[in-house]
Amino acid sequence: MNTVTRAAAETIQGGWVLGVMTGLFLVFFVAWTVWAYSPKRKAQFEDAARLPFADGGIE
Amino acid sequence: MDPDRTATQPATGAAVTPVYDDAVVKMFFTATVVWALVGMLVGVIIALQLAWWPANLGLPWTTFGRLRPLHTNAVIFAFAGNVCFTGIYHSTQRLLKTRMFNDTLSRIHFWGWQGIIVAAAVTLPLGLTQAKEYAELIWPIDVAITVIWVVFAINFFGTLARRRVKHMYVAIWFYMSFVLTIAVLHIFNSLAIPATLVRSYPVYAGMTDALVQWWYGHNAVGFFLTTPFLGLMYYYLPRAAERPVYSYRLSIIHFWALVFLYIWAGPHHLLYSALPEWAQTLGMVFSIMLLAPSWGGMLNGLLTLKGAWNKLRSDPILKFMVVAVSFYGMSTFEGPMMSIRAVSGLAHYTNWVIGHVHSGALGWVGMISFGMLYWMVPRIFGREVRHPTWVSHHFWLATIGIVLYTVAMWAAGLMEGLQWRAINDAGQLANPIFLDITARLEPFLWLRLIGGTMYLVGAIMMAINFWQTIRGSGRPVEAAARAA
Ligand code: HEM
Ligand code: HEM
Repeated sequence: MNTVTRAAAETIQGGWVLGVMTGLFLVFFVAWTVWAYSPKRKAQFEDAARLPFADGGIE
Repeated sequence: MDPDRTATQPATGAAVTPVYDDAVVKMFFTATVVWALVGMLVGVIIALQLAWWPANLGLPWTTFGRLRPLHTNAVIFAFAGNVCFTGIYHSTQRLLKTRMFNDTLSRIHFWGWQGIIVAAAVTLPLGLTQAKEYAELIWPIDVAITVIWVVFAINFFGTLARRRVKHMYVAIWFYMSFVLTIAVLHIFNSLAIPATLVRSYPVYAGMTDALVQWWYGHNAVGFFLTTPFLGLMYYYLPRAAERPVYSYRLSIIHFWALVFLYIWAGPHHLLYSALPEWAQTLGMVFSIMLLAPSWGGMLNGLLTLKGAWNKLRSDPILKFMVVAVSFYGMSTFEGPMMSIRAVSGLAHYTNWVIGHVHSGALGWVGMISFGMLYWMVPRIFGREVRHPTWVSHHFWLATIGIVLYTVAMWAAGLMEGLQWRAINDAGQLANPIFLDITARLEPFLWLRLIGGTMYLVGAIMMAINFWQTIRGSGRPVEAAARAA
């Protein structure tokens, strides 16, 4: 194969990376959304949101 | 750890009142203000050089080619870097209810980082460079950066390991991504074979070199100018607004989606290049997807003020922060748009990119930093800001300055892009002489200089204000207010 045809072949082969990455992203996205929005963790996250206000401590 | 402690409750009580190291916060704070002035002054100088060439002074050390990397290194690594360290050292201790892991490491980090900046400020004007954008520094300095970054990482993760609060607030996650990613990016992009003390050869060549460089370059934007500042937003915006973040759950999704997508977006700097087309498309698609988490984060920031918009009228600190978050939204809308191949064909190589850069840099990074510094000074130095009205003046100078800067560059960029490609009826270039188009930029370059100068004047007012506050003429903060 000369360099031009090799480059062309690689161009075609590389497309699957995009597909796999997009698929992976979707899977992860759904997973962490379900995790974050599960009713079980609602109270815990509401507590967490108040963490910046519990400054306590001295210099 | 106490077994009966709930996830987020700090261990309170007299026995465990943590003693924070605010001395190092003050050191980073001082460095921030000094480097802000230096970096922005050099920005104004190079803006003048572009509008009026005699400002190059005819000396090799002061030409645009050498001062431009000095500007980018000074504003990114010296100003923005020290801002991040100031905020991280201040908020991490408070969020985790523990002192930094090791005071000596904190000081090595501080002095090491300032030493690196001084080395950069000496070598770049001398013309010593690796010629990779944002990674110009020669290999001995690269080695020093690696060592100091490892010191910082040990100190930071050591602090996480001995935290007294189980749950790590979302800001800490953004800081973690900053510490880890910058280490990886810096090491891989800087791999080079030293030839002499000041010269080296990169291990990558050709297209690979370009790809590694822009994987680094884009993530320098993503993980140096974005994620640590989002961490600061998630801590200081709720503090300044005195209400918790709008949605903590959204912040979690914001974080994971952002770090996942950012890593793949680098090829949007290499559209229409020799990079294989599938890789260009990957970069383009992931850049467009980046819009969603970015805007999720922006809305989360803005909606934190829901029900408290009236505070915005009277509190210049909140004004700084809200304008910052709005510019974050604007530049993360513009970025994905510029990542579309056809749009890139118009924008690439033009001043439009410079406009995009500074709407992010001046609007987002700069404004969120100023807001944080004004909020922090009374709390760490125990004195009210000396000239409260100046804070407002600074806000307006900076805001108008950014608008002048970015509008001028957008107009200039569009003009260049359109005139470069214009074709006349005969099918020939309508503007065959490149220099003609360049000469038409002049009014825009002067306008940018005016905007940039206003921004610098605002920063100078801030520095004087802080100087007078700290040197004793600021009214002491009441103890109760300080503890809050
Ligand atoms: C007083 C404020 C500032 C002025 C007047 C200014 C001016 C300039 C000028 C004239 C350039 C060169 C543009 C060109 O080559 O055509 C530049 C580049 C740049 N500046 Fe600034 N700047 C300022 C503040 C900042 C700040 C605060 C940051 C970052 C936090 C920043 C980041 C950058 C970056 C990353 C570039 C390189 C852009 C690229 O290569 O596309 N600047 N600036
Ligand atoms: C979703 C977010 C973003 C995307 C997809 C994005 C995309 C882009 C694109 C397509 C370019 C132009 C490349 C070229 O044609 O040369 C660019 C340049 C740049 N952007 Fe962004 N951008 C985003 C957000 C930001 C933010 C928030 C900042 C600053 C804080 C920023 C700073 C820069 C810088 C410094 C450059 C110039 C790089 C160079 O030296 O050429 N970007 N960005």
